Amino acid sequence: MPTNPYLSVLLVAAAAVLLIVLFSLGLARTARFAARLAGATRNQQANTYGGYLFAAPWILGFVIFVLGPMAFSLYWSFTDYRVTAAEAPALVGLDNYTRLILRDSGFRASIVNTLFLTAVGLPIQLGAALGLAVLLNQQTRGERLFRMAFYLPVILGFNTAVLLCWRLMLNTGTGIINQLIRALSAAFPPFGWLNRAGIFVVELVNALFLGLGSGKFNLLTAVWEAGLPAANRVPLWVQSPLWSKMSVVMLMAWGCGAMMLIFLAGLKSIPRELHEAAEVDGAGPWRRFWSVAFPLLTPYVFYNLVVGLVASLQIFEPIFVLYRDNEPLVSSAISMVYYLWQASFSHFEIGYGSAISWLIFLIILGVTAIQFRMQKHWVNYDLY
Amino acid sequence: MRKSLFYLLVLVSLVLGACTPATATQAPTQAPANTQVPAATTAHEAVTLRIYLLDYTADTIAWLNSEINPAFEAAHPGVTVEITEGSWSGWDTTFSGFFAAGDGPDIINLGSEMNTLYGESLADMDPYLGEAAWPDVANFGPAIENAKYDGKLRGLPIFTAPRYVFCRTDLAQGTLPPQNFGDWVTFAQENTVIDAATNSLTQQALVPVDAGSMADWQWWLLVFYSLGGELYKADGAPNFDSPEALAATEFLLDMRQATYGSALDAVGSLPTGQGSVIDVNDETGANNGAICLAHSGWAAPAFDRPVWDNVSIEPFYGDPANFPNSRPVVLAFNDWLAVPEYSPNKELAAEWLKTAFSRDANNKWNETMGLIPARNDAQFGYVVESEQLKREAELASQYGVGFAGIEESAILSTIMQDALGKLITEELTPADVVATIQSQYAEALD
Repeated sequence: MPTNPYLSVLLVAAAAVLLIVLFSLGLARTARFAARLAGATRNQQANTYGGYLFAAPWILGFVIFVLGPMAFSLYWSFTDYRVTAAEAPALVGLDNYTRLILRDSGFRASIVNTLFLTAVGLPIQLGAALGLAVLLNQQTRGERLFRMAFYLPVILGFNTAVLLCWRLMLNTGTGIINQLIRALSAAFPPFGWLNRAGIFVVELVNALFLGLGSGKFNLLTAVWEAGLPAANRVPLWVQSPLWSKMSVVMLMAWGCGAMMLIFLAGLKSIPRELHEAAEVDGAGPWRRFWSVAFPLLTPYVFYNLVVGLVASLQIFEPIFVLYRDNEPLVSSAISMVYYLWQASFSHFEIGYGSAISWLIFLIILGVTAIQFRMQKHWVNYDLY
Repeated sequence: MRKSLFYLLVLVSLVLGACTPATATQAPTQAPANTQVPAATTAHEAVTLRIYLLDYTADTIAWLNSEINPAFEAAHPGVTVEITEGSWSGWDTTFSGFFAAGDGPDIINLGSEMNTLYGESLADMDPYLGEAAWPDVANFGPAIENAKYDGKLRGLPIFTAPRYVFCRTDLAQGTLPPQNFGDWVTFAQENTVIDAATNSLTQQALVPVDAGSMADWQWWLLVFYSLGGELYKADGAPNFDSPEALAATEFLLDMRQATYGSALDAVGSLPTGQGSVIDVNDETGANNGAICLAHSGWAAPAFDRPVWDNVSIEPFYGDPANFPNSRPVVLAFNDWLAVPEYSPNKELAAEWLKTAFSRDANNKWNETMGLIPARNDAQFGYVVESEQLKREAELASQYGVGFAGIEESAILSTIMQDALGKLITEELTPADVVATIQSQYAEALD
C-alpha cells in the first residue's frame, strides 16, 4: 500500500472512476440485452443503451449512498449497536421497536412536539407564504427587491450568524421583537389586550401539548387558573418551555420563501381574463381571491402542503440551532428527528436510532399517502 | 459500435470533468503542507499525525503551530502534525462519525465525563504513557483519573477548570458567601431585582450554569456533591432516591423561585451582554447584572479586568445546617486528549503528547487560556503570579471533586435535563423529578 496520502487519494479517485465506468457499461449492456430479448428494434436498443449509460452513474450513487445505508439501517434497527462500544451489533429482534412504541416516554413527547409544530407551524408557514405571494403579485415598485428579501432566509438557512441574530432578537428583556411588542402595547392599548390574550392562548395550548407529552396536566391547570397575564407580560421566546416551540414556529414562518415562490408562480399562471370577468360581475378583490384565485391555486397549496408536511415531520435544524446549547429547553421542543439525532449521535445507540428512523419513515409515508387520497376532495385541476 | 464508443467517451469525460474541480481546489491547500516536511523525509515513511481540538483560543493554536509542532516534526523527520479545530457544539456527531468509520484523528479532545462514554473505543496508552514508560506522568494531579478507563490511561489531561462561586463584594447585600441553603435563598431574594416595566431581571443574585433555567444538570451535581451525595450506591445502582438528591432538587427550585418567582410570573432573564455577567460594561459603566457566578474561570472576567478588586472566589459550601456530611466543593472539569483505538499511530501520538505535556509546555498551553495546568509541577509562573489563579489553584487542591466516572453520562444528561426542565415549569415536583431520574437512569444502566 502506498504511504503517501496524496497518492492514496489519487488511486482511490481513479478506482472510483473505473468502477463508475464499468458499472455504467455493464448496466447499459444488460439493459440493451433485455430490450433485445423483449423484441425492441435496433434503434430502440440503442436508445435504451444510451439512456441507461447516462443514468448509470446516478443509479450507482443511489445504490451506494441511499439504498446501501437504508439496508444497513434496517438491519441495525433489529440490533443492539453502539458505535463506541467496540462490539459487533447484536441481534435483538423487535426489542428496539417495542421499547420505542410501548415504553419510551421521550419518543412519545417528541411525537407530540412534532404534531404541534405541524398543526400550528405549518398553517402559519403556508399562510405567511400565501400572504407574501399575494402581496408580491400586486405589481408594485420594488417587487424584485421584496421577492429577494423574502427568499433570502431560504438561502441563508440556519447558520451561526442567523442563530445569533435570532437569539438576540428573541431575548425576553432586550430583544427587538419584545421591544416592539412593548412599544406597540404602550402606544395602542387594544394591541396590549391582544398581546395578553395571545400570550394566554399560546401558553394554554403549549401547556396542553406539554401535558400530552408528559402525561401530567398540572401546568395546564395552573395556566388556566392564572387567567389573563399581567399588562407587562411579553412572550418568553427562548426562555420558557411554554414558548420554546413557538420560537421554532417563528423560524419556520421566516423560512417560507420557497413556498412563497411556488404560490407566486401559481398566481401568475391564473389567466387574467378570469379576474376581469369576475370584476365585471361585481366581485371585489376579496371575493375574487377566494372564488377565482384560490380554487385554481389548490394544486400549488397541495404541493406546498405535502412538501411542508414532510419537512415539518422531519424538522430538526431550527430546534438544534436554538436549543442545542440551552439544554433545559430541549425536552419541551424536541422533535422526532432531533430525538433520532440524540439517540444516534449523542447517546451513540445506532441500533435504536435506526429503529426511530424507520418508524419516522413509516409515519411520513402514511401521512403522505393519506394526503394523496384526500386531494381528490379539494384540489382543483380544471385549469391544468 | 461507433455510437457506443461516443457515449463511452462522453461518459468518461463527464466523470473526469466532475472530478477535476475537487482536485484543483485541494491542490493549493495541500501544497504548503508538503513544503513543511523536511527534505530528510524522503528517507523516512511520511506520516501525518492528525489532532482534533475543540474551541481552543487563537493564542493556543498559534502557540501549538509555531512551537510544539515544528519541534515535534524536527524530532520526527517525515512526520507532519495537522491540527483540526472543531467546536463543542456538535462534537458528538463528528466523533461518532470517526468511531463508526474507524478512521479519524489520532488524538481527539474529550471532556471530563467522556472517559466512560468513549472508554471502550480508546487505546490503552499505559505502554507508552504509564510510569514505566514516562516517569513524568507521576506529576499529573487528580485530573489524570479522568483520562483513565478501566484503570488504564487513554490519554492525558490538559487543565483543571473547577467551578467556583465568584461574588461581587461591592454589590452584594448580606453576608458573603452564603454558607447553607437557607442563606442562599435569602441572599437570592435580597439581591435579585426585577424591572416592573419589562417584567425582566436587571440583577440576578446567582447565575449558575444556564442562567435562564438555573436548573442545569451540572449545577445540580455540584449541589448534590456538596451535600456529601454519592451518585451510586454500593451495589452500583443510582442514588437519586437519596435525601441528598431530593434536597439538591428542592434547592434548585427554591433558588429559581427566589430569583424568578413562580413559573407563571414569567419573568424575563438577564439581557445577553458582552463579557462576564459579573463584570462591568466599559461603554456604559453599568454592571452586567449578576452578583454571584457559579461557574468556571471561562465565564469569569479576564484577569486584567479592574472588577477583580471586588470579586471573591469561594467554593460552594453545601448545607451543613441540615446535612452534616456537607463539604465545600469546587466541581473540577478538565479537557483531556485521548488516543482512539482505531489510530494506527498510537506510539507517535504518545510522543506528541509527551512533547505537548512536558512541564514547561503544559504551563505555556494553559497560560494561553488562563487556566490551571493539570500537571502539579507546571503550576508556576503566571499561576502563582496571578492572585486569582493562585486562589483558584488552592481551592481546587483543597475542595476539588472530579466530574468523571459517570456511567452513561450522555443518557444521564438527557434524563436529568428533561426532568429538571419540568421542575422549573412546576410540571413536576422535586420528589417527582428525583423519582423520574432514578427509574429512567436505572433502566438505562440495565
